[in-house]
Amino acid sequence: MNLEKTLYDAYGFTSFRPGQKEVIEKILSGEDVIALLPTGMGKSMCYQLPAQLLEGSVLIVSPLLSLMQDQVAQLKKMGEKSVTAINSFLDAQERSAVLNNLGSYRFIFISPEMLVQPYIKSKLRDIRISLLVADEAHCISQWGFDFRPDYLRISEILPVLGHPRVLALTATATAKVTEEIKRYLKISEPFIYSHPMDRKNIAYDCKKFSNGHEKLEWLRQFVKTNSGPGIIYAGTRNKSQQISELLNQAGIRAAYYHGGMEHQDRIFVQQQFQNGELEWVCSTNAFGMGVHIPDIRHVIHFQIPTSIEGYVQEVGRAGRDGSPALATLLYSAGDEEMLESLVLDDLPTRNEISEIFRSEDGGGQLVSQGIVRQTSFRIVSYWKTRLTEQQTIRQIEQQKVEKIKQSAKIKKLITIDSCFREYLLDCFDEQLDSKPADCCINDGLDYSKFLSGRKTIAAATKTVTWQNRLDAILPC
Amino acid sequence: MLFEDILITLLKAVDGERTISSPYHLLKGKKSGQTLQDIGYYKLHPYFGILPKLEKDVYDRAVQGLFKKGLIVTDGEVVRMTEKASAVKLAPTLLNGWKFRGNEQLFMARLSLLVQTLSHIHQNSRVFDPVVIAEDTQQWVKNYLKKINYRDSASCKNIKEGIVQSLNAVEVDESNKMIVLQRLSGLKIGGLTWEQIAREESRSIIDIQVQAVETLHGWMEVIEKGDFPLLRSLLDGVIQHSALTETARRTEGYFKNGRTLEEIAALRGLKTSTIEDHFVELAMNDPGFDILGFMEASLYAKIIAVSRTQNTKRLRDIKENVPEASYFQIRLALATKGEIQ
Repeated sequence: MNLEKTLYDAYGFTSFRPGQKEVIEKILSGEDVIALLPTGMGKSMCYQLPAQLLEGSVLIVSPLLSLMQDQVAQLKKMGEKSVTAINSFLDAQERSAVLNNLGSYRFIFISPEMLVQPYIKSKLRDIRISLLVADEAHCISQWGFDFRPDYLRISEILPVLGHPRVLALTATATAKVTEEIKRYLKISEPFIYSHPMDRKNIAYDCKKFSNGHEKLEWLRQFVKTNSGPGIIYAGTRNKSQQISELLNQAGIRAAYYHGGMEHQDRIFVQQQFQNGELEWVCSTNAFGMGVHIPDIRHVIHFQIPTSIEGYVQEVGRAGRDGSPALATLLYSAGDEEMLESLVLDDLPTRNEISEIFRSEDGGGQLVSQGIVRQTSFRIVSYWKTRLTEQQTIRQIEQQKVEKIKQSAKIKKLITIDSCFREYLLDCFDEQLDSKPADCCINDGLDYSKFLSGRKTIAAATKTVTWQNRLDAILPC
Repeated sequence: MLFEDILITLLKAVDGERTISSPYHLLKGKKSGQTLQDIGYYKLHPYFGILPKLEKDVYDRAVQGLFKKGLIVTDGEVVRMTEKASAVKLAPTLLNGWKFRGNEQLFMARLSLLVQTLSHIHQNSRVFDPVVIAEDTQQWVKNYLKKINYRDSASCKNIKEGIVQSLNAVEVDESNKMIVLQRLSGLKIGGLTWEQIAREESRSIIDIQVQAVETLHGWMEVIEKGDFPLLRSLLDGVIQHSALTETARRTEGYFKNGRTLEEIAALRGLKTSTIEDHFVELAMNDPGFDILGFMEASLYAKIIAVSRTQNTKRLRDIKENVPEASYFQIRLALATKGEIQ
C-alpha cells in the first residue's frame, strides 16, 4: 500500500512529518498505539489518514470543547466534509439528526461526558468504529497537570464498541503517565512512539527581579525594543488584562485573551494575531489551542508556570517555522507564593467535597449557586460514585502532595545553574543528545539571534468611517 | 442610548413599585411571570432581553453610580427616583427587545460569516478560519451563498450596496454604526473585541454593547420594512411572529379548544399559578382576549379605576381597595392596560 499516495490524494501533502508514518503503519496493522508528539507536529494526521483506509468511523474522544471545535474546523478546512462533533453545544434537534446518521460520518468527535450516556452508547454500539482515538490522553492521569475524571470512563465504552484498536495521543507524558494511559485504556502492549521533545531552535532565558514593579518595567522596555509576534503568559485573567493595558499604553499593539471573554471576542483576538494586526497576546494558559502561527518569536512567562508539562507545551508554540525563537521566564521575589496558591486553587476544598457528598440529587445546583466550582464539581462527582467522603478527601490530599511536588520541579528552574534544556528533558525521562549553539541562559546565549530589534510596523490603517471599513473588508 | 439612560428609563417606569433588581431581570430577558407582566404594565417592551449576558456586578456598579449621582434612593424594598432623575431628558430609542428577542445575535452571526466569506472569495483566498463556528449558522450561510450566485462579483456589489443603503437609513449616530462594522471581519482585517472598541472610543464596554444592539435593532427594522431583498433573507426565522413564549402558546392552544384553566394545568402537569401566568401573558399580547370570561365587567372597571386614581400598579395596593378581586383577576385586568371599554 502506498501511504504517500493516499496522503497526497486525500490531503494534498507530499510527505509525512517525523513519526506520522510509523504510527499510521502500526494502526493499519491493527496494533494499539501511544504516540507522544509535540503540538504542531501533525498529531491529527495519525488518525486522519487511517480514516481514509479503514472501514467504518473513527471516534475521537476529546476532553476540551475548544480543542474539539478547533479540530473539527481544521478538518473542514482541509476539505473533509464527513465530520461531526457530539458535545453539549448541540441542541436536542441537531443531536438527534447526528445520532440517527452516526454511521455515515468518517470522523466522530465526542466529549467524554457524552460518551458514557446510555442513549449515545447504544447508538455507538450500532455502528462500526474502526479506531478509537483518545486525544490529550495525559488527561487520564490523575497525577497529571490536567486531570479530567470523565476521561477515565473511556474504558467503559471499549467493550460496547467491540474493542476497536486504540490510539492515545498526547504532547507531553512522563513514563508514569504513559503507564497510566496503558492501564486505563486497557492496552497492554501498545506500540509507543515518542518523538524527541527537544526543540533546538528554541533558546531558554530567565530573568530575575527583586519585585514585581521591576519585572513590569523590564517587560515594557523589552516590548519597546523587540518585535513580536509573541505570547506573554500571565498567571491570572486579571494579570493578562493588566499587562495588555500596559503594552497598549506604551503604544504597542497587544490584546489580552482568557477564558472569561465571550467566544466571539476570543476569535477576534486570534484573527488579529494571525493577521499580524497584533504583536503580542497577553494570555492565560487558555491561549494556544487553535492558534496556528508558525512564526511566533517570543514566548514570555510573566511568572513561574504551574507545571513543567504546561511550560513545555506553551514554550513549544514558539518557532514552529524552525527559525530561532526565545522562551523567557520572568521571576520576581515572592512569585512562589502565588504559584502555590494557583496550583492548589484548582483542587476541591474540604467544604466543596462535603457539600457534594451531602447533596442528594447529585449537587448540580451547587455550581449555579456558586457554592462549588465547576472543576471541583466534576472531580468530586466522579469520586463520589467510587469512594467514600473520607477516601475522597484522602485522594485529594494525595493529589495535593503530588501537585506540590510538581511545583517544586518547576520552581527548580529558577534556582538551577545548569542547563535548562537538559533539566526539562530529564523531567520527561529523556536524555539530551546534543546542545544547540544557543541553548539557555546558563550555557551562554548570543541574544543577537533572538533580539532582532524593533521593526517599525506601520500603524494599522485606521478606518475612520464605517463606510471606509466596509470598503476595506469588501473591496468589490 | 447609554446603559445608564436605560436604567433610568426602567426605574422611572416602575418608580416606587419594584425592587432594584427588577430591571436586571428584564434586561436579561428572564421569562418569569413577574417580568413578563411588568413589560406589559409599564410598556417596557424595547428593553426586554437586550443584554442576555449582562453580569450582575456590571449591573450593580451602574446602579451604585445612580445612587451616587443622587438619581435614585431606596424606600424599604423598592427604589424611588429623585427629582433630579425626573429632570433627565431621555431620547427615544430604536431598541425593540420584545420583537427581536435576542435574535439580533443570529442576524449578526449570519452577516459576519457572509461578509467574511465574500471578503475572502472575492480577493482570491479560498481557505480561512470561519468567524462563526455554530454548525447551523454555517449551514445556513452555505445555502444562502448557493442561492445568490456568490462567486459573481455583482452579487458581492449588491450585498455591499444593500448594507450601505440600509445602514444609512438607520437613525443612530455614525459612531454606533462603526461599532457594528468593527464587529465584522474579512481578509487580513480582524474583528475588534468589545474592550478594544471601548478603549478606542473612551467609553465603557457595556455602553458599546448597548449601542451595538440598538443599531442592530434599528437596522433590522429598516431591512424588514424597506426594499433590500438580499439582506431581507438574513432575517428569515430571526423575527418571531408570535410575541408569546413557547409555553404560553401551548396553553393558548388548549384554551382555544375550550379547556378551562384547571384542566390545562392538569393536562400539562403544571401548577395552576403557572397557567395563570400564561393567561396574563395572553391578555397582554392579544387585544381580542376575552377578559370578561374571568370577571364581571363591574369588577374589571373597579380595578382599572383604582389603578388610575391611585396611580399604582402594585397588586397589594389594589387588592386593599378591591378586596373581592383575586390577585389573578387584578393581574389580568392590568395586563389589558385598561384598553377594554
